[in-house]
Amino acid sequence: MIKQQFKGSNKMNLLLLVALLLAMMVIPHFAKSATVALISRIFILTVYGMSYDILRGYMGFINLGHALFFGSGAYIAGILFTKLDNTFGIFILVVLITIIYCSAAAFIMGKIVIRGGSVIAGAMITLALGEIVRNMAERWRSVTGGADGLPFSIPPIFRDRLHFYYYALIFMLVMTLILRQFLLSPTGRVLLAIRENEQRAKFLGFNTDKYKMIGLQVSGISAGLAGVMFGVFNRFANTDLLSVQQTLNALLITLVGGTGTLYGAFVGSGFIAFVQNTLLNLRSQYPIFERWLLFFGAMYVLVVLFMPSGFVGLWQKLISEAREKKKGSAVDAK
Amino acid sequence: MDVFFMLLINGLAEGALIFLMASGLSIILGLMGVVNFTHGTLFIWGGYIYIATYNRTQSFLLSVLAAMAAVFLLGAVFEKLFVSRVYGNIPAQILITLGLQVIFTDLVRLIWGATPITVARPDFLAGRWVIGGATIVHYRVFLIFVGLLVAIGIHLLITKTRIGMVIRAGVQRPDMVQALGINIKLYFTFVFAGGAALAALGGALYAPLTGSMSSTAGLHNQVLAFIVVVIGGMGSFLGSAFGSIFLGLMGAVVAWFVPSLSVVANVTLMALILAFKPNGLFGLAVKK
Amino acid sequence: MKSLLKIEDLVSYIGLYTILQGVTMEVNKGEAVVILGRNGAGKTTLLRTIMGLVNTRSGTLALEGRSLIGRPTYTIAKEGIGYCPEDYGVFDELTIEENLKIAMWKEDKETLQRRDYVLDLFPDLKVAYKRLSKTLSGGQRQMLSISRSLINDNKIILIDEPSKGLAPVVIERLAHALQEIRKHTTILLVEQNFALACAVGERYYIIDEGRTVDEGRMEALMSDKALQSRHLGAI
Repeated sequence: MIKQQFKGSNKMNLLLLVALLLAMMVIPHFAKSATVALISRIFILTVYGMSYDILRGYMGFINLGHALFFGSGAYIAGILFTKLDNTFGIFILVVLITIIYCSAAAFIMGKIVIRGGSVIAGAMITLALGEIVRNMAERWRSVTGGADGLPFSIPPIFRDRLHFYYYALIFMLVMTLILRQFLLSPTGRVLLAIRENEQRAKFLGFNTDKYKMIGLQVSGISAGLAGVMFGVFNRFANTDLLSVQQTLNALLITLVGGTGTLYGAFVGSGFIAFVQNTLLNLRSQYPIFERWLLFFGAMYVLVVLFMPSGFVGLWQKLISEAREKKKGSAVDAK
Repeated sequence: MDVFFMLLINGLAEGALIFLMASGLSIILGLMGVVNFTHGTLFIWGGYIYIATYNRTQSFLLSVLAAMAAVFLLGAVFEKLFVSRVYGNIPAQILITLGLQVIFTDLVRLIWGATPITVARPDFLAGRWVIGGATIVHYRVFLIFVGLLVAIGIHLLITKTRIGMVIRAGVQRPDMVQALGINIKLYFTFVFAGGAALAALGGALYAPLTGSMSSTAGLHNQVLAFIVVVIGGMGSFLGSAFGSIFLGLMGAVVAWFVPSLSVVANVTLMALILAFKPNGLFGLAVKK
Repeated sequence: MKSLLKIEDLVSYIGLYTILQGVTMEVNKGEAVVILGRNGAGKTTLLRTIMGLVNTRSGTLALEGRSLIGRPTYTIAKEGIGYCPEDYGVFDELTIEENLKIAMWKEDKETLQRRDYVLDLFPDLKVAYKRLSKTLSGGQRQMLSISRSLINDNKIILIDEPSKGLAPVVIERLAHALQEIRKHTTILLVEQNFALACAVGERYYIIDEGRTVDEGRMEALMSDKALQSRHLGAI
């Protein structure tokens, strides 16, 4: 009976997923172009959020330099498209170089952070690393354009907003599948075990440092690829993409969406993209919203204080409560 | 020789400034196990309040004191309203202090504008000595003097006073401090606010050095302070003192000889030290 | 006799685990009461619950009729309870002098007299007075811990397994000191060492699986071999 119920809810989930997918496929044909762009952004940010969730949700590691992967992806795209050519071939090259670069960066970051061990030291060190990369991008004017940013043109295939919407959707779906497989794999299971109890995982004979390094690599590369897509989407890269603010975006996505759920990243990025959009729009009417970060930060603090497990966590809690209630009433009926 | 002397003064002055931030950060970390990500924000608040007061009153001392007092209160509010709610929950502490940092940094932009504001050094510190080929800026010597004074002050506070006893005891056994009838929360608030006031002092003294204050200066200096705390050994006062001097001197030397590397030098140093001594130079690692 | 510490059906928990499941006991003024029981029976948790270091779910816990439940630890201590935890709770980075000083609520004549009294009781501490506590041996730490709990005019002191990990000679000295102390101080002692328990205690309670299962006078337990083997066989 329990099994049946489980199967039933699984079927429900699947149905919901299919419906959602269908909706996503047809939406752009009815929506305004601004909405299409917003949703494309959400797709890309979802991958960025998921990459962060691997660290925070599955490894219990707070990386405050995460934006360095994301921003670097955008910069690599920008630099190669301007210095070489804006063709699809170069795009493939961008992806390859981003993977290599992020893997190397994650390796260096991991070497410094994982030995230190504690969450606190990790947060402090990664903040420093992220700031250093941002600083370098700001000073290396000849290549990055410095504080002015780097506008660039993109391969023709990505230029159409509607087409790009589908590319972003496919990108999100593919990355979700890959990351899901990764987390379900034995390696992913070990990461989960490390989060639950690192000592025990060590006693069981796992080289926890190695697994953390793998997790960081996967996370960094995913963030870098999201950065590439984001760069292509904006046709622009600047140091904001490397800033702590950008890392906070990832943090907030996992905060709102809930950690350790992966899918929560979609909810989270939808929420923050929407809020940012609204705040930025309000800016044209009320000058106070020039300082929209104020509201953004306030929202962030409130989420930390009052919604520690995010929307998805809240939703799951409500569902399980409803189920308990149902079970209770069923027993009463008997 | 002249260059050596100049770099020594510049490095020590820089080190003194970093120390003002790092020492508070380190003591807060040691006693409460909290990394305060608002420290950089408190630093710029100190700087801006200093400038605002100085431009009105033209009194150096009064402006510094005003900055410290105001930020002391701000720190106390941070601790009472936010940080105290999440003691023991490290991720939440990091997240909440980060959030406050975003809000209060943007608040600075709202009040004083997004572009840097300038301030002149007070007359009595504006001069310089020229000895041979080296220029010694009075203000830098003054910074070294203040840094030394603060270091001695903190040392005396920690070794000679009741507050210091509670801090030293609380680092090891906060529960036992309570079981002796001491309200350690009160000390937490005081130490947090005290650290904030030191950061404000840093900001207030930084503004006349560079001649301006901007909302981005906070994060930059916070990162330096973090590096000091990490290489000095988390929670070690002595470590933060030596780490600051070390970083300051190295910064001065690198900036003089290979300025293009000055951005990466700090982090490279941190990475090297962590590679050989994961607990930092003065290894009082806070494994929390 | 006047009742000092009164505990009824006390239930306390750590996280998801209920540790004390219903402890009832009473300590009168001037008494020395020993708590016996197996490892993991909840003895240490009982003392920590009294100090407010462990959360209480239900029951009553009062000192001279004033409830201690739900109050911050430092106010409980201020009611007049001295606490010597299992691992002594000595502050390593403080000198012996400072360890005593930090505990003083005021530095009046009486407090300084009490300080001189404990230093006479434990001459070791006098010798090492200005040294950092981390240089002390286990026995000396225990002495410092007990001294610290006596420095204020406490109504009762709670001592958690003072004999643990100490050499027999040291335990003997400790027993003498505790016999001296109990002449003027109420003591609640958790102890597994039966000899020390007998030397100090007048009454006993036995705790098992978080509940008080037996109580009585210490002489009764000492003379009754059957009772001993029933309870202490399991200890």
